[in-house]
Amino acid sequence: MEQDLYAEEFDLEQMEAETEAMLALNYLDRNNSTFRRTPGGFVSLDTEDKHYARVQVFRTFPFTGKNLYISIREADEKAREIGIIHDLDQDVDEETRQMLTEQMELRYFTPIIKKVKNVKEEYGFAYFDVVTDHGPCRFAIHMSGNAVVHLTDTRLLITDLDENRFEIPDTRKLSNKELKKIGLFL
Amino acid sequence: MNKEIFRRLPPALKTLAEEQGITEDSCLVFARFDMNFEEKYVDGWLLLTNKQVLIAQAVKGPMYLKQYKGCVDRREKAAGSESYETSLLPVSETASMQVLKQVATNVLFYRPEGEGREDIRLALCSNMYLAQLRHFAAVFTALKEGKELTEEVLRGEKEEEYCPKCGTMYPDRERRICPKCMNKSSVFFRTLGYFKPYAASIAGMFVCIIATALLNLVWPYLNGTILYDRVLARDEHFLEFLNLPAGKFVTALLLVVLSMFMTKLFIQIFGIIQGVLNARIIPGVVMKLKTDVFDSMGRLSMGFYNSKQTGSLMTRVMGDSEEVTGFFIDGLPYMFSNIFSLIATAVIMLKINWKLAIPVLIWIPVVLFTSYKMAPILFNFFTSRHRARRSLNGRVNDNLTGARVVKAFGQEEKELTRFDKYNRKLMRADVDLVRFDNRFTVLYAAVESFSNLLVWGLGGFMLFKYGNLELGVLITFISYVAQLNNPLDFLAFSFHWWAESMSSAQRMFEIIDSLPEITEKENPVHMQDLRGDIELKNVTFSYDKNKTILKNVSLHVEAGRMLGIVGRSGAGKTTLVNMISRLYDPDEGEILIDGVPVKDIAFLDLRRNVAMVSQETYIFMGSVYSNIAYANPEATKEEVVQAAVLASAHDFICKMPDGYDTIIGATGRELSGGERQRISIARAILANPKILILDEATASVDTETEKAIQASINFLIKGRTTISIAHRLSTLRDADRLVVMDEGRITEEGTHEELLQKKGTYYKLRELQTKALAMRGLE
Repeated sequence: MEQDLYAEEFDLEQMEAETEAMLALNYLDRNNSTFRRTPGGFVSLDTEDKHYARVQVFRTFPFTGKNLYISIREADEKAREIGIIHDLDQDVDEETRQMLTEQMELRYFTPIIKKVKNVKEEYGFAYFDVVTDHGPCRFAIHMSGNAVVHLTDTRLLITDLDENRFEIPDTRKLSNKELKKIGLFL
Repeated sequence: MNKEIFRRLPPALKTLAEEQGITEDSCLVFARFDMNFEEKYVDGWLLLTNKQVLIAQAVKGPMYLKQYKGCVDRREKAAGSESYETSLLPVSETASMQVLKQVATNVLFYRPEGEGREDIRLALCSNMYLAQLRHFAAVFTALKEGKELTEEVLRGEKEEEYCPKCGTMYPDRERRICPKCMNKSSVFFRTLGYFKPYAASIAGMFVCIIATALLNLVWPYLNGTILYDRVLARDEHFLEFLNLPAGKFVTALLLVVLSMFMTKLFIQIFGIIQGVLNARIIPGVVMKLKTDVFDSMGRLSMGFYNSKQTGSLMTRVMGDSEEVTGFFIDGLPYMFSNIFSLIATAVIMLKINWKLAIPVLIWIPVVLFTSYKMAPILFNFFTSRHRARRSLNGRVNDNLTGARVVKAFGQEEKELTRFDKYNRKLMRADVDLVRFDNRFTVLYAAVESFSNLLVWGLGGFMLFKYGNLELGVLITFISYVAQLNNPLDFLAFSFHWWAESMSSAQRMFEIIDSLPEITEKENPVHMQDLRGDIELKNVTFSYDKNKTILKNVSLHVEAGRMLGIVGRSGAGKTTLVNMISRLYDPDEGEILIDGVPVKDIAFLDLRRNVAMVSQETYIFMGSVYSNIAYANPEATKEEVVQAAVLASAHDFICKMPDGYDTIIGATGRELSGGERQRISIARAILANPKILILDEATASVDTETEKAIQASINFLIKGRTTISIAHRLSTLRDADRLVVMDEGRITEEGTHEELLQKKGTYYKLRELQTKALAMRGLE
């Protein structure tokens, strides 16, 4: 009986420790972690007590703070958080910053719309013909629902039928003609 | 892989593949990818045989037009590129292959054979090819695991469908509507279809309209030429024409005035008849349109409701149908009558004096052409105003539903600012619209005044200089010019009216045409008496592509047993049970009830046999009685009361002044969470289903009420298959078996005792809960 109680107490302690670990933010920086490029094109991480052959790099503020609070997570589907980089520009060296940025750019791939050539609305869909920083693109969106989101008054995020993303960072930089074309969404 | 598909590969790629010994017989599956790891768009292909993976990437010029879904041209797709760079990966050297789903891109990677090898990236694609890539990886895995490569495994996703007319990919495969080939006039004719039942009344209206137009044409002739040049100018021929003795000009005058009076009188009479007919048609058509929209909204699956705001749906059902019919009744007939009078007036003017008519008439085509050209722009202004109005409605709707939270956090000011923002947007859209519309008004006013001046000037000149024009004719002419302006004004107006009404019609048809994702099978299996045996086989499901909610879930609940599901919020528990009643269909895998796939079971039988008591209670406006009898309207009073007693609802219902006749719901008496819950349970008891789903049925009640409800539930689950989701493990103490879910998977499974012995998540949860309760001295 006594033993049983002891076991329960022990478990409870462990559970509390786990809960605490869940509640704590674990900051990573150049002093406690080393990131490396893997030959396979991913990024590995060595912390003080563990080696991770592959990690995932998440933005927590993809629109309002691209380099703030970068969440480094395990590679499996559960993607448990290993730690957070508070400020990518400050807390890690240049090479790490670059390799993590590359990973994130692929993850959050969002072509920037430089020029709006044509927008056509037809029967519940709108067809965009644009030039992006990744070259000319054509894509279609649903007119109903939230395909065009106003991140700010002048910044638009557009999501196509497959949930690919496009961004207009500043509508004020578009010509009047272009503004007229996307007028429906402003 | 379908041989046909292999034959349709880009010719250059096919040649390269065949050089590597990949033929239409040996190629198992293909996938496309559209990016390289430098984030550049590419034209990439993956082909899989028993022995190798071929990775091909087009060698391209710098300008490559990327076409996403809905914009791909079939001809372009078939052509492909002229040359490809290829590489090979032997299947024997590859241990596994997986797709890593990221936010906007997806990485296909593999792990080479051997101890401690690391993952290597193989290809990158946008979400457009995610399904293909996943299928490719799945076939690879099946091949590697030595599974039989059946048709089903190899088939994968259906090929995208293309519009036969223009070759554009359908944006929505289920809907098969090519927006490029769908035009406004077909919307128009479709709407016209709604008026068919009223053909006779509409014919009557047309007769009235044409008669009115003709009478309107007679009027200027009577009050101009006849009055001035014949009667007042004492024209003897006219008296002869009227068969009157010479000199009786006063009689002639009386006759003319009488006919003038009769003309006006008949115009009024026809107007009244028209109004009566009108009143007969509109309400019927509006009602039919509304019913159609509401009906298709009811048929649509849950997915539709998740993607649209309720506020905007309201605008659609209510506003749009009136907008549409308004045009068809008040606009369209007059459009015909106006075109008719425009042409008739022009002909008469030319007949009377073509020299005077031409300078006036010449402007008409110009004006009409300009209007026609400006109409599409107007169309856009209307759509944009509609959107602004919709988001404002959505805003208000949000605020009304969340009023309590807004007040609790004292955010009224901030909400006002937010409201103001949307309100301002609507105002701006309105101002833009009016501003553009004004150009029309100015154009028409200018033409009107100009023609008037022209006729007076030219006519006066002719009268003085040549004397070949009579005063009466000039006055008739002036009246005709004025009459010309009415139809012109109207036509200008009707251009935008037409525009607005067509965009409303378009929006409505969009809903009417939306096919539900979940449809009943053509020849469904009718199952009167279900046993209630439930089996899930490898069910995978996601609401959107970014997040898989259920991953490969398999479980079996024998008829009459109770299964408890435990798990963190967001683990996929509710989604799982929603799939049993087919609110959603699984992306992969299947669900069987008594060995029959739910997809094959008739909706009626399925819904009658599966009842759900969930954390979201739905109380509609009506009496307590009708709320309980919702699923079984034929229930007798006795049955309803009996159900309420079993649901421990009888007591509080009796205490309400109007008892079972108390009106509850939207505007009626407010019920507490526990009361609503108990009414839902009573409803489920009355429905008498074979399968009962309890989704946090006791989540929102206090412990005492929970005990009462628990007792009712214990009664309720007798003889039924029950699946119960609960956070409080005490609720599940009667479950025959329990599963623990985490991140969309089943992580633990067994009886209460087995799970406790495992000392896993369930054990931990139980420990936590009993400790917490013990601390509070509750259990």
